[in-house]
Amino acid sequence: MSENPTLQSSLMEHLKIARELRSLEIHYHPEKCKGVWQCYNVCPVGCWTPDYDRRVVVFHDPEKCIACGACVLQCPEDAIELK
Amino acid sequence: MATVFMKWLETSPKDYDRGIQLLTLGRIQRIKQKIATEYLKPDMRVLEIGCGTGTLTAMMAARGAEVTGIDAVPAMLAEAEVKLEAEGLLERVSLKHMDAALIGERFPPSSFDLIASTLVFSELPPDEQLFVLEACKGLLAPGGRLLLADEIVPTGLWSRLLYILVRLPLVLLTWLLTRTTTTALRDLEASLARVGFQAREVASYLGGSLVLFEALPAEAAPSAFALPPTVVGRLRHRASLRSLLLDLWLLFFRIIPPYPKVRPGLYAVGHPDASSPVLVTGNFDLTVRRLVRAIDRQVNAWVLVADSAGINVWCAAGGGYFTAEKVIAAVKSSHLEQVVDHHALILPQLCANGVDGWRIRKQTGWGVHWGPARAQDIPAYLAANRKKTDAMRWVRFPLRDRLEMVTVTLGFYALLILLPVFIFWRPSFWPVTISLLGLSYFYALVHPWLPGRDGLYKSIPLTFIALAGMFAYNALWHPLPSLTLFHWGVGLTGLSVFTGAELQGMSPLMRGEQANWGWEALIGLTLIAIYWLVPLALGWR
Repeated sequence: MSENPTLQSSLMEHLKIARELRSLEIHYHPEKCKGVWQCYNVCPVGCWTPDYDRRVVVFHDPEKCIACGACVLQCPEDAIELK
Repeated sequence: MATVFMKWLETSPKDYDRGIQLLTLGRIQRIKQKIATEYLKPDMRVLEIGCGTGTLTAMMAARGAEVTGIDAVPAMLAEAEVKLEAEGLLERVSLKHMDAALIGERFPPSSFDLIASTLVFSELPPDEQLFVLEACKGLLAPGGRLLLADEIVPTGLWSRLLYILVRLPLVLLTWLLTRTTTTALRDLEASLARVGFQAREVASYLGGSLVLFEALPAEAAPSAFALPPTVVGRLRHRASLRSLLLDLWLLFFRIIPPYPKVRPGLYAVGHPDASSPVLVTGNFDLTVRRLVRAIDRQVNAWVLVADSAGINVWCAAGGGYFTAEKVIAAVKSSHLEQVVDHHALILPQLCANGVDGWRIRKQTGWGVHWGPARAQDIPAYLAANRKKTDAMRWVRFPLRDRLEMVTVTLGFYALLILLPVFIFWRPSFWPVTISLLGLSYFYALVHPWLPGRDGLYKSIPLTFIALAGMFAYNALWHPLPSLTLFHWGVGLTGLSVFTGAELQGMSPLMRGEQANWGWEALIGLTLIAIYWLVPLALGWR
C-alpha cells in the first residue's frame, strides 16, 4: 500500500466517515441521571422527556435524533454519549 | 457541492502554522528567535498568550525560562504538548486551555517577568484587546515587560499602498493553500498608551506591516486605572440600501467567505436598564439583524455579540468557532457586570452543541439560560419569565425556510455546474438550468412528504418523478430520439441525486451533513461511465 492517498483511497476514507456519521447513536445511562433537564432543555427535536416523579429524563424518541451533540455537551453528569 | 466546500474549509493546526509562515514570508520565525535570544534569562517567569502549536514556547523553555502557555483552542494545545514532549521541555512549561480575557483573574498580580504574544491581538475583538492589555499590566512584576508581535496597517501613504499591493495576493494565496488568514491591527500603539504602557517598536519587517513592540508599564500611569464599561451602540431594525444588497448577496452566496461580520461587544436594543435581560449571540451580520428584527420595539434588552467568526450560531458551535471561551471573553471584556445588576445570560438554544454552558457557569459565575431555538420567540419567552414551551424548543423546516435554503444551495450550483456547462456545452445550458431550478424548488415543495430522512434516499423518488416527467414530455408533446432520451435520463438522475443529497446539509432535521459527498462522487462517476459506455456498447449513434 502506498503512503500517499490516491483518489480511490480518499474516496473509501470518505465513505467510511459517512458510514460512521450515519451510525452515530445516543447511548444514555439513566442510572447517572440526576434530573437536571439540560438535555430536554436544549434538544432541538424533542428526543428527551422529563419524568418529574422519578426526577430523571427518558430517552423517549430516539428515532428523531439528529446527532447534534447538544445533550452530550450540556449533561453535567456525563450520562449521555454519542458514538 | 457545499459539503465538499465545507470539508475543504476545515483547517488543522498544521495548516495554520504553514499559513502564518507564508503570510509573513517567514519573518514571524525571526521575531520569535529575537524574543527568545534577546529578552530571555534563565528562570524568568514567562506568560505566553496564544501559544498555538508551541513554537515560541519551546524556544523560550529551551533558554531556561519557566513558561506558562495559554490558548483558547484545545487542538492547538494538543499539538504544542506533542512538540514540547518531543523536545523534552514539557516539565518547564505549563499549558492551559484559557481565553486571553481570563488571565487577569486566573493568575496572581505581579506573577510574570515577561509576557509575550505573537499574532494574537489581531484575532481579538477591539474591546477584548484593551481588556487583555490592562490585565497584562497587572500581571507584570516590577521591571517586567510585554512583547507584542503583530501585523499592523502601515501609517504612511506610500507604505500603505505598497502594503496593499503586496498583501492582497499573499492573503489570497495563503487562504487558498491553508484556509488561514489574519486581520491587521490599526492602532496597537494607541491602545497600549491608553491602558498605560510605554511602548516602542523594536523590530519591523515587511515594510512596517509586521512589528515587534516592547512595552513597559508607564510610571506615571494611575495605579487603579480601570476601563469604563463599553456599550458599542444601539441596534435598530431598519432596512437600508446596504442591508438590502447584503440580503441579496447572502440569499445566493451565504456560504462563500468572507462572511459579513458585526463588531463583537455589548449593544442596546430599545432602552435597556440594569435589570434588562442579556441576550448572547454570534457575530454573523444576518444573525444579528434577524435577532434585532425579532425583538426591536417589543423588548428592551442588552445584546452581547460574541465572536463566532462571522458564522451563524448553530454551525459556528458545531464547527468549533463559537465556544464557551468566546462567550466568556465577551462577558469579561464588555464589563457586563458593571452594566447590569443581575448575573443571567440568555444563550441561543441552538449553540448548545458547541458552547459548554457549565464551563461558562464555572469560569464566570454567570447563570446560563437556554433561550428559544428561534429569535421570533424571544419576546414571548421573556414575557413568560424565561419559560419555554416545547414549540419554542423544536426546530422545524417550514416551506419558507426550505425555499430560502434551496436558493442558498443554488448559489453554488450556479457556479459549480452551470458555469462549466455554459462554457463547454452551450446548447445544453438552458435545458440544464431549467431542470435544475425545477427540480430544486419542486424538492423544496414536496420535501416533507418524500419518504426517508436521508437526502440520498429522498433523491430516489425525486429521480423517478423527474424521469416520469421526461417520458411524459416525450410521449405527449415532443418525441425525442432514443440517444437524446438516454442522455437526458442519465443527466436528470445525476441532478436529482445531487439536489436530494445537497439539501441535506442545509436542512436542520437530517444528520451527518458531511456524510454524503463520498456517495455523491461515486454515483456521479458511475453515471458518467454509463453516459459514455452504454451507447458505445450498444452501438447507438
